[in-house]
Amino acid sequence: MKALSVNKINKYFYVAQKFQVLKEVNFDINQGEFVSIIGKSGSGKSTLLYLLSTMDTDYEGAISINGTTVTGKSQNELAAFRNAHIGFVFQFHYLLPEFSLVENIMLPALKLKLKSKEEIEHRAVELLGMLDMKGTELKKAAAISGGQAQRVAIARALINDPAVIMGDEPTGNLDSRNTAIVFDIFKELAHNKGQTIIAVTHDDEFAQKSDRIIELKDGKIINE
Amino acid sequence: MKTNYRIAWVHLTSRFRQLAVATLSVTFGISMFIFMNSFISGVNEAQTVITFTSLAHIRIYNDLSAREPAKLIPDTVAGNALSVVNNARNIRYTEGIKDAGPILKALKKQKAITGISPQINTNVFIQNGVTQISAALSGVDVQKENKVFHTADYVVEGDFFDLQKHPNGIILGKGLAQILGVKVGDNISLTSASGGSKNFTIIGLLETGATGVDRSKAIVSLLAARQLNSKNKSYVTDIQIAVSDYNKAQKVAASMAGITSYKIEPWQLGNSQLDSANKLRYIMSFVISVTILIVAGFGIYNIMNMTVNEKIKEIAILKAMGYSGRDIVIIFLTQSIVIGLVGGILGLVLGYIISVCTGYIPFRIATSTTLPINFNTSDYVLGFVFGIVITFLAGYFPASKASKVDPVTIIRG
Ligand SMILES: Nc1ncnc2c1ncn2[C@@H]1O[C@H](COP(=O)(O)OP(=O)(O)OP(=O)(O)O)[C@@H](O)[C@H]1O
Ligand SMILES: [Mg+2]
Repeated sequence: MKALSVNKINKYFYVAQKFQVLKEVNFDINQGEFVSIIGKSGSGKSTLLYLLSTMDTDYEGAISINGTTVTGKSQNELAAFRNAHIGFVFQFHYLLPEFSLVENIMLPALKLKLKSKEEIEHRAVELLGMLDMKGTELKKAAAISGGQAQRVAIARALINDPAVIMGDEPTGNLDSRNTAIVFDIFKELAHNKGQTIIAVTHDDEFAQKSDRIIELKDGKIINE
Repeated sequence: MKTNYRIAWVHLTSRFRQLAVATLSVTFGISMFIFMNSFISGVNEAQTVITFTSLAHIRIYNDLSAREPAKLIPDTVAGNALSVVNNARNIRYTEGIKDAGPILKALKKQKAITGISPQINTNVFIQNGVTQISAALSGVDVQKENKVFHTADYVVEGDFFDLQKHPNGIILGKGLAQILGVKVGDNISLTSASGGSKNFTIIGLLETGATGVDRSKAIVSLLAARQLNSKNKSYVTDIQIAVSDYNKAQKVAASMAGITSYKIEPWQLGNSQLDSANKLRYIMSFVISVTILIVAGFGIYNIMNMTVNEKIKEIAILKAMGYSGRDIVIIFLTQSIVIGLVGGILGLVLGYIISVCTGYIPFRIATSTTLPINFNTSDYVLGFVFGIVITFLAGYFPASKASKVDPVTIIRG
């Protein structure tokens, strides 16, 4: 089964005049694949990722994730879908500053309500440990460094064991050691757990090591 | 669901200053609502009490004006004759209530009635030496009169009940006594309209607070009034009735219609200005206090709006993680409802405290020596309900705005 299938996507912005950001974008991603999306700044990588994430619904074409066509679903249906099937890591780490790190990680799972609070908390602590952040569980999110925040955001993206994990420059704020840690985790998730990873990146080394590279230029796929 | 409340709670507790300001504005609004309404209702009641020192809830009397003058010649005469009556005289066959006994008996059976006082009211001249003043004389049954008008409370010198022991005793309005230049213990002479004359000893002075009454009223026993007017034993001019709830006087009066053919008049009739003055005061206090609450509502609206703007990135991230618009509404609405509830409860307490304190401020009105304050449960319930409704509305709009945040716009930066 295809983890993700993108069918002739066109996306426009209307600033002063109509401006096409994505042009006939067409690709499939298999389950368990670790894909990097690269391209120059302004080529439309983030825009594409927001479409894949189901948050931006204003486009032409069709997207299906894990066999479910998400195009045309209502906002509430999409919210529930994201919660269960998609994990995110953003270019800037958006944590809830007044909550502890564990609580931040737990939030998507508390919404999903598949597991008990204790189980969720246990898993959150485990994830923090995996990302080399043992002992910081009860720190407030406002009181940690950018690199640490990015790792917490990654842990949060993993908490619901989503089928697809998307990252917009997930290692953008990390040093090479942390980048390596994150890369290994992604690889492990993709190859051993069968989770699909889609990461927008400017880091060529990161992209080269991944399973597959999709390159965008001026809103078109030039290299698959 | 629980998670939403937890998030709401964290938002609330992390902004203590704003929370305190919002809560206090609700507290202030609700306490003012309660205080104003308690005070106005106290003032209204004091006003009403003063009014009812001389006005009964229901009065039964012989309404001469309502009766057609007796017709001596029929209007239509047979044949071609034309009847013309010039200068027709109103011949009054009956004055006062001839036989009050059966009416009083029937009234006693009515449940809503708490007091019945038969009176003889006439105009008299009071003479003290050369001074001659006209006065409104009431002949009353002391016990019954007190039940209806609480007259004893307003007798400031002497004792109202002494009237029972002194067949020739009289109680004068304080203002009237001043005009006459008399004091307790002095003797005065009363002359009735029919020419009868009798001497009385002043045994007490009356002060109701209503100047018009205090300057004209004189009270004697029912027996003395009958003697003065040379009337028979069961003659009265008015039957004054007190009911348990004066607001229902009209209804009670209507239910008594079958008892007698004399005029049964509830106090609202002919005193509508009293009723409307009370209502106006209520409306005014209501409008002012609701305005205060609405201003408090705007305060909450403002604070919640700021919160939403401040937290807009967090809202976006929550939505990105799969929190629905409804979750976001709950998170932010919960915050304003908590503010409303806490502010409301504090407002009830503060309103009560302010009211109690105001009740100690010295002020002479009616029989009270402090500012009048009423404690009505309904004021507290209403204030609380209004407070909650207004905070709910004030919180709803920012919350619904928050739920419509587009995560992409925010996250894209
Ligand atoms: N909200 C918007 N309104 C109008 N134009 C936009 C909007 N967002 C992005 N664009 C434009 O769309 C194009 C693609 O933007 P996008 O953010 O997808 O680029 P990107 O490849 O992610 O760049 P970067 O590597 O710098 O993150 C750019 O030309 C950008 O100016
Ligand atoms: Mg980008």
